[in-house]
Amino acid sequence: MVAGGVAPVGAILANPFADDRASVAEGERTFVAMNCDGCHGGGAAGWVGPSLVDGRWRYGGTDGAVFHSVFYGRARGMPAYGGVLSTDAIWKIVTYLRAQPLPAGVPTERWQ
Amino acid sequence: MPSRSRLVPAVLLMLAPNRAAAQTPARDDGQWTMPGKDYAATRYSALGAITSANVARLRPVWTFSTGVLGGHEGQPLVVNNTMYVVTPYPNVLYAFDLTKDGYPLKWKYRPDVNPSAVGSACCDAVNRGAVFADGKIVYNLLDGHTVAVDAATGAELWKTQIADLGQGETTPMAPLVVKNLVFVGPSGGEFGIHGWLKALDLNTGRVVWTAYNEGPDSEVRATPGTFKPFYDRGTDLGLSSWPGDAWKRAGVPVWGWLSYDPQLDLLYFGTGNASPYNPEQRAGDNKWASSVLARRPADGSLIWAYQFTPHENWDYDANAEMILVDLDVGGRSRKVLVHFDKNGFAYTIDRVTGEVLVAQPFAPVTWAKGVDLATGRPVLDSTKLTGASRGNITGICPSLEGGKSPVSAGSYSPRTGLFYVSTNNLCMDFHAAQVTRIAGTPYIGAATPYKPGPGGHMGAFIAWDARTGRTVWEIRERYPVWSGSVTTAGDVVFYGTLDGWFKAADARTGKPLWKFKVGSGVVGCPITYRGPDGKQYVAVYAGIGGDWFLLSGDVRSDDPADVRAPADFMPDIARHTSQGGIVWIFAL
Repeated sequence: MVAGGVAPVGAILANPFADDRASVAEGERTFVAMNCDGCHGGGAAGWVGPSLVDGRWRYGGTDGAVFHSVFYGRARGMPAYGGVLSTDAIWKIVTYLRAQPLPAGVPTERWQ
Repeated sequence: MPSRSRLVPAVLLMLAPNRAAAQTPARDDGQWTMPGKDYAATRYSALGAITSANVARLRPVWTFSTGVLGGHEGQPLVVNNTMYVVTPYPNVLYAFDLTKDGYPLKWKYRPDVNPSAVGSACCDAVNRGAVFADGKIVYNLLDGHTVAVDAATGAELWKTQIADLGQGETTPMAPLVVKNLVFVGPSGGEFGIHGWLKALDLNTGRVVWTAYNEGPDSEVRATPGTFKPFYDRGTDLGLSSWPGDAWKRAGVPVWGWLSYDPQLDLLYFGTGNASPYNPEQRAGDNKWASSVLARRPADGSLIWAYQFTPHENWDYDANAEMILVDLDVGGRSRKVLVHFDKNGFAYTIDRVTGEVLVAQPFAPVTWAKGVDLATGRPVLDSTKLTGASRGNITGICPSLEGGKSPVSAGSYSPRTGLFYVSTNNLCMDFHAAQVTRIAGTPYIGAATPYKPGPGGHMGAFIAWDARTGRTVWEIRERYPVWSGSVTTAGDVVFYGTLDGWFKAADARTGKPLWKFKVGSGVVGCPITYRGPDGKQYVAVYAGIGGDWFLLSGDVRSDDPADVRAPADFMPDIARHTSQGGIVWIFAL
């Protein structure tokens, strides 16, 4: 576990389903079926848990870092899904999340 | 948009003095020792130095940053010239010395709380406050523990595990103490828990009894001859009103407020929603979800129960406060409890028997046409029933935030005979879906986007006559109103708004009298007390949060890796407030 959120050199994991379109749909189904949307919201846009589609990541945004968060869990309430889901299923969730378009103008919210 | 007051002409006559005034306590010790001020949960103080005539001169005299950003629900306690403040997770307990300049800390208590609890709290890592009894401050940690701390020294006296985080149980509610027992319950209606109430020994923390809200009579502690619900007959109702073993993952949490009648020796509390939200996975009435239960404190025996929303389809928890008063209803003096339910109806119930005397909507309601007093059941609009096979159901009012949030504890003035409550004016669509329970993860099964209700304002602060079921006056607010209220012998009522105003109004007319911007939205419950100098003070928490289903997350600025767009129905709340916990004290 890396508290600072920077993946250690040498621990880079490769996503076997990167950019695989069929895996995007499968990952989305798993995201709903495993109740991920119960915390991260519909479309992973953030609810009680953080948004996963704003292009920003607490614990690193590489495929490997996101896999790590899902597999091992994170201290502030993210359950560990390793052992519950197969590694392939977790990779496909990663593929689904990484395929989401980033909203424009994330840093600025303007009222006038 | 400025708030405005609207007096409802048809009920002006109700403002005349009434018999309830005879219940005014002869004296007030000036303290605030339990969440609802008294066992009856009136949140009424007989202190009268701050009046409708002078409240315009109220000014802040002290503030304190709690150092915590979560939603600051609940209220401080004031006992023996000491103010006790519990923060949201990580549940720090502060003890301020009110006798010294600047109110320095006597001590602070920093418990060891499991951070994974943050992920099992449905809505935010909140805490609803502590209770004082027998020289102890007793409160719940988010991670399923109750602690007792020496009120004088801050030393931990005992710590008891009461809930199972692994099942999605967390514990933000405020306990109540009756005699030598501490009463506590869990949150987890979004996690498929098996809801309960526990009694702990005040001196040791030992669990004395556990009574479940659903399941066989032996677990519910319902005994034939002792359990006498007004409307229901039969045994094992908490079993037979669920399909198969659905009762074992049924939710029905206890996360709201408790009250107690010493004469009847009955403890009253509301239960939360049934799990999951998709009602097709739990055919039947689902007793005793969304209900009020009356239990005997000594052994937990169930004496009566009433279900506000049988087979609830809309996440209508009934965890809001049960305020205990004596009222003339239909020409008779009745011992009643008054309850403002998430389902939009306010109930006046005989608290001896569980008979519903009055049930009228206090907020826009579309899911039901009324409540049949002969059966106690709501008259449903079948077009508003939800379920995975029914697709998206639109135009349901109230939203699942409730006509009133159970968090926003109302108050009652025996001087006016009126109840003062914060309300939400939100409606929703409800698209249910089949869902599988995975222990410790959300068990919900619905998408429920919100819309402002009729009129466009999203909330109000109202005065309610529980004898007739009518709104006497209302102050409309732009945003949902989520604070509690306190009312006083000075005929002033205090509440706060989500956009960060703390306000005072005339308890008789609803005329706005004073307001002050407190730095963050108010979701806590104000209190009033007498300081060591004899003056009357008013205290409240600022600190928006408590429900990330309602708040889009754009009022948060604490995490650069979590940046969200505003909510479509409330796109500008972040223009007026951001997170941050502050204790405020005001005086003339």
